Amino acid sequence: MLTELESAINNFIEIFHKYSLEKGNYHALYRDDLKKLLLAECPQYLKKKDVDTWFRELDVNQDNAVNFEEFLVLVVKLGIASHEDSHKE
Amino acid sequence: MSSLMECSFETIINIFHQYSVRLGHPDRLNQREFKQLVKKELPNFLKKQKRNEAAINKIMVELDTDGDKDLTFEEFAVLIGRLTAASHEEMHRTAPPGEGHSHGPGFGESTGTCQSQGGPGQTQDGHGHGHSHGGHGHSHNH
Repeated sequence: MLTELESAINNFIEIFHKYSLEKGNYHALYRDDLKKLLLAECPQYLKKKDVDTWFRELDVNQDNAVNFEEFLVLVVKLGIASHEDSHKE
Repeated sequence: MSSLMECSFETIINIFHQYSVRLGHPDRLNQREFKQLVKKELPNFLKKQKRNEAAINKIMVELDTDGDKDLTFEEFAVLIGRLTAASHEEMHRTAPPGEGHSHGPGFGESTGTCQSQGGPGQTQDGHGHGHSHGGHGHSHNH
């Protein structure tokens, strides 16, 4: 049985697949998939950066899709932002 | 109500703080705190390393990019990213053979942290890709 921390980490895999399995490659988030993910999971982080900016930033290899490895950059960045916010509240 | 992602970040941040406040700087993990966290909170993800002090120290040195012997949350977040990748790889390694996208049990069964979270439309099926999570299924019974 996993711990709470390990289970929380696995949730990111579930979130990715919830949107990546909708169509096309199983490990690809297309622009509209990423938009749905960001709107549903963390709309507060779309205030400073819009969907297109996030998409360009995450799609490092510029193949017009965010793969799992590229998605991890979002996880790290939003984790850091959430931690900063946790000290502001 | 917070989303699955927000709740997961909150869980991770709370656990980081549980250890970071113990000794020295309250928002940074020193070596002892990091060791305690790995042993207690990451026993399945770092199964091989958890009983090996040298291996845990090695992870710490790798993460401590500014070399100040403490881990900030920014440095710790890199480990979260790495473990997400490792767990995902393990799910694919343990996946049943066959077509479509499927996952095996990976490093173990989830405790369902934050799984009661999430807005409407949080359904697990309907994407039609045979996305099964092998051993642990999708039982969200709480």
